[in-house]
Amino acid sequence: MTDISSGSVPLTTNEKVQASLGRRRRKQFILQGLGIGAISIAFLMLFILLWSQIATGYKAFMQTNITLEIFIDPEEVPTERLPRGNFDDVLAAALVANLPGVDASDRAALRSASGILSNGAQFDLRDRIVENPALIGQTITMRMPVSDPYDQLYKELLDRETPENLRRLDDAQIANYDHLVEIGAIGSRINTGLITNADSRFPELAGLKGALMGSFWALLTCFLIAFPLGIGAAVYLEEFAPKNKLSDFIEVNINNLAAVPSVVFGLLALSVFIGWFGLPRSVPFVGGLTLALMTMPTIIIATRAALKAVPPSIREAALGVGASRQQVVFGHVVPLAMPGILTGTIIGLAQALGETAPLLLIGMNAFITSAPGTPFDSATALPTQIFIWADSPERGFVSRTSAAILVLLTFLIMMNAIAIYLRSKFERKW
Amino acid sequence: MDDLRAINNDVESNATKISAKNVQVYYGDTHAIKDVNVEIKEHTVTAFIGPSGCGKSTFLRSINRMNDTIDICRVEGDIRIDGQDIYDRNIDPVQLRARVGMVFQKPNPFPKSIYDNIAYGPKIHGLAKTKADMDEIVEKSLRRGAIWNEVKDRLHAPGTGLSGGQQQRLCIARAIATEPDVLLMDEPCSALDPIATSQVEELIDQLRESYTVVIVTHSMQQAARVSQKTAFFHLGSLVEYGTTDDIFTNPKDSRTESYISGRIG
Repeated sequence: MTDISSGSVPLTTNEKVQASLGRRRRKQFILQGLGIGAISIAFLMLFILLWSQIATGYKAFMQTNITLEIFIDPEEVPTERLPRGNFDDVLAAALVANLPGVDASDRAALRSASGILSNGAQFDLRDRIVENPALIGQTITMRMPVSDPYDQLYKELLDRETPENLRRLDDAQIANYDHLVEIGAIGSRINTGLITNADSRFPELAGLKGALMGSFWALLTCFLIAFPLGIGAAVYLEEFAPKNKLSDFIEVNINNLAAVPSVVFGLLALSVFIGWFGLPRSVPFVGGLTLALMTMPTIIIATRAALKAVPPSIREAALGVGASRQQVVFGHVVPLAMPGILTGTIIGLAQALGETAPLLLIGMNAFITSAPGTPFDSATALPTQIFIWADSPERGFVSRTSAAILVLLTFLIMMNAIAIYLRSKFERKW
Repeated sequence: MDDLRAINNDVESNATKISAKNVQVYYGDTHAIKDVNVEIKEHTVTAFIGPSGCGKSTFLRSINRMNDTIDICRVEGDIRIDGQDIYDRNIDPVQLRARVGMVFQKPNPFPKSIYDNIAYGPKIHGLAKTKADMDEIVEKSLRRGAIWNEVKDRLHAPGTGLSGGQQQRLCIARAIATEPDVLLMDEPCSALDPIATSQVEELIDQLRESYTVVIVTHSMQQAARVSQKTAFFHLGSLVEYGTTDDIFTNPKDSRTESYISGRIG
């Protein structure tokens, strides 16, 4: 401050601080800028992800339908032969009745025209008639999904300008379609089949029911196993285990377990549950066991953190009035830690819901056309269903894959929202 | 210091409640309490004073075996309550803590209702057979804790919603709900404001009629106000023990004198 020998005017403390202020402000400005930049990039990525899935997926939430007046010809569908009958001929006849341009005696033209009907339509009709055989001989109105190429045409995903030989529908088929649109037989409805149907080779009939039920059974199994075991292990390690080398070793390994790639758990499940124990392949129960192995470390770590966060004063208070260790833990500490434990569990389950690799290894990517009624029926799960659909060549599966991704994301967001809600609702101020 | 003596107490005639002989406490390799011998009289308030880290809280916590909950802590020697060795194999710490209540530095009510806070101890020990019994215990404890009038209309409101001083009296009421003989208090007023402190001190004086009270305090004024006997701890040793009057007006040890006059601490 008093450097007189140099001859310069000595700076006061205030001036020195002033000089450094600009530099400090600049640093803070840069840091804030970087932070905002990072967040912007993260949001942009999230937006691109959601946008790309919504843009392709939204079309799968609508399904093009055809409504026909169908005469149930007793010649084709005799009552005594039910459930057998020429339902496809009945449908074709009903269709051709609406198409003056098609000669009903020309087999090739007839086959080409009736391609608009989904392969599943005859089975829907059969089920309806088997349920009520009195319909035979009557004319009924029925709405059914159109097959995939026509669905694509309605959604303008099929380009009419493409040369005929490269198109999936020829000019005659498109003319028939246009006629049907004109007479109001074709319309579009919300695609409830996406949720209520199980998987199918035909995109217009494929739905997520099997995958949703499969995921539900797998997660239920996972929860019922991982939750009690995880809490038990965490409570023992945190509250009762002696602090020694062995418990340190176990702790380190639990943390490592949480970082093991999921495909390894899949291989383990394949060799242990399916190989040794002889449990069936492709069933949600085995999927749940596998996911439980993966979720348990997450639950243990979250539970231990929640138990640690309970203030020691509460333990002392309970011990002080003469509670035993077990009464302290289960009467006070665990209930107070419950919000944290539940949050960790839900986040663990959300991870399990999105896990694909281990399920592929235990065969939960099979093609299964019925929804599982129990955890021991073959099934797929949501992420493996997405995997299967993404792998399918039919155009209709492109939008369905995105739609399935949106359904999966919806469930994940819902689970995380529940976790956040629980955390804020039960959060305590000490 | 004479003006601080509110009551004249003749405590020498009382019987011995707690007797400690050659007590050593170790935390790992640290020798926290060195060879403490003390006889605490029945129906007396005994204050433990001394500078921070002198071991007074540690010694207090070995009287109800709270130190057992610390893995590395080891207690040697002989502590008897009513002639019974509390570190005896046959003594369950749970049973001991029902007889020796404890009040902590920071008010620590359970995050439950006021009623449940008091009822917890009697409930786990099976002291009340019916709801009516429990209601009676709760009311009696809250009355003894000098907080009944303030909370009688909101027994089912959370205990954590009370003010600091009320919370501490609630904790005292909780400690006496199990009908202990001895009440240990670890700096019960250090987190309280002066008005709450004086209320708690008044309460401590009333409690002396039914209980043997041992209080650790940082405040020498508080020790002088509430206690009849005082023990001065320094560096893990019991330096001097006697009637509060003697310790404050006529200390025998030079360290006690230095501490009391504010030169060490």
